[in-house]
Amino acid sequence: MNAIYEAIRVALQGMAASGSLPQAFTYQFVINALLCTFLIGPLLGALGTMIVVKRMAFFSQAVGNAALTGVAIGILLGESYTSPYVSMFSFCILFGIALKYTQYRTNLSNDSLIGVFLSISLAFGASLLLYVSAKINTHVMESVLFGSILAVDYTDMNILLVVTLISAVVVLPLYNQMLLSSLNPSLAHARGARVRLLEYIFVILVTIVTVACLKIIGAVLVEALLLIPAAAARNLSRTLGGFVAGSMIIATLSCILGVLLPMQLGLPVPTGGAIVLVAALVFVVTTIMRTTMSRFRATGV
Amino acid sequence: MPGPAIVFDKVTLELGGTRILDNVSFRIEPGALHCIVGANGGGKTSLIRSLLGQMPHAGQIRLEGEQHGPVGYVPQVLDFDRNVPMTVRDVMALLTQRKPAFLGASRTHRAGVEAALRRMGALEKEQRPFGGLSGGERQRVLFAQALEPLPSLLVLDEPCANIDEPGARIVEEVVLELNAKGVTVVWINHDWDQVRRLAHSVTGINRKVIFHGVPSEVLTWAEPKAMVS
Repeated sequence: MNAIYEAIRVALQGMAASGSLPQAFTYQFVINALLCTFLIGPLLGALGTMIVVKRMAFFSQAVGNAALTGVAIGILLGESYTSPYVSMFSFCILFGIALKYTQYRTNLSNDSLIGVFLSISLAFGASLLLYVSAKINTHVMESVLFGSILAVDYTDMNILLVVTLISAVVVLPLYNQMLLSSLNPSLAHARGARVRLLEYIFVILVTIVTVACLKIIGAVLVEALLLIPAAAARNLSRTLGGFVAGSMIIATLSCILGVLLPMQLGLPVPTGGAIVLVAALVFVVTTIMRTTMSRFRATGV
Repeated sequence: MPGPAIVFDKVTLELGGTRILDNVSFRIEPGALHCIVGANGGGKTSLIRSLLGQMPHAGQIRLEGEQHGPVGYVPQVLDFDRNVPMTVRDVMALLTQRKPAFLGASRTHRAGVEAALRRMGALEKEQRPFGGLSGGERQRVLFAQALEPLPSLLVLDEPCANIDEPGARIVEEVVLELNAKGVTVVWINHDWDQVRRLAHSVTGINRKVIFHGVPSEVLTWAEPKAMVS
């Protein structure tokens, strides 16, 4: 894949040099960031519609906090502190499964249990990181929470690509059953769905997507990109197709504009913040449209 | 070919320390129209959910027959976030096809879905947001989804609870049509007159089996007291 990334980089830099593209494209980190946005946008946009329907809004935030513990464990086990992917993936998947298992054993609602796990994971992760902080740069915690899209390398991009492909292969054939399982488990059962297995698969999927995106955009931004585009698309959509497509388009456009606008306009805004602000602006506009235009009000109940 | 026979064999279910079903045993014959009656909280829906494989229970529930086709199920209500942007067509796609519903309706199921919606008098609602339908309209759509593909076993959990008189008549007609084709029907029903008119067999449940048999023989006017006592 690295050769393909290189070819794209050379082509875009050539176009920038000839004046066909803005000067920002002469920088490799901008091109890497934009390549990531073309994966992250559609991925988080599509997954976000399921998150909204399943009312798991804060799950990715809880996983992001759990990643802090994963990073700390990775450092203790001797993994690189810049990319402790093995520990992060392993710990976060166990964390997600434990959360779902606890929910089935206690019958607590999704939001209550996620809230409990979110608090525990943040406290535990931050404490453990502080314990190992003598060995590392203390900015690791900041990096996990807020990411650094302008510092991604080809390893990060390859992991993101693999996770995107896994997500597509898993979600597309199971999409209907996964959605139906959260709407009405009895009906899903009658239609042959294995409801609990599907819930576990979904939780693992959101977990690996969140972890793959952590270093690039951070836990806070993953959560924002899972929720805001889906919420904005829901404001204007009448159909499921419009909802999913709208969410993917809004998420991708927010990422692209969030990367490019601060550079083009010389704004002193961090890339992550700019991405969220663009998405938030779209949400505000769609909310105004929904509340003022009868055509969109009719989409609600 | 008739639908399956269903055997409930010493089915016991406990939830949170409360016994919901206690040693429930009875048999539904292949191709029968069987009604389950009983007081609220008597365990009827739990029994149905156990039949659908959704409740962990003691004892056995067996489907007997040469071949088991699809199971059609109509829940009492479809409780979900009504602001999720889904049209009736989306809901039908979600329930009847493998292709992701957000990519549109599958050609394979298109004719069957339209026929089912038309039969339930809901075809003209196909483009409407599902969340914006009235309770009765939603129930018609829920009933339509159970007709595609043609089931060999139809499980109904008070499908007429929110439905208007014309809708209830359509439900009754469709149930009789399917049953005439050999589909086994299990119907939780509170309308005893309807049970007397339509059912081949009936079971009264209040945690235990209170009575079981042919409606004309077991549905006496003294039974309602026994159901709640």
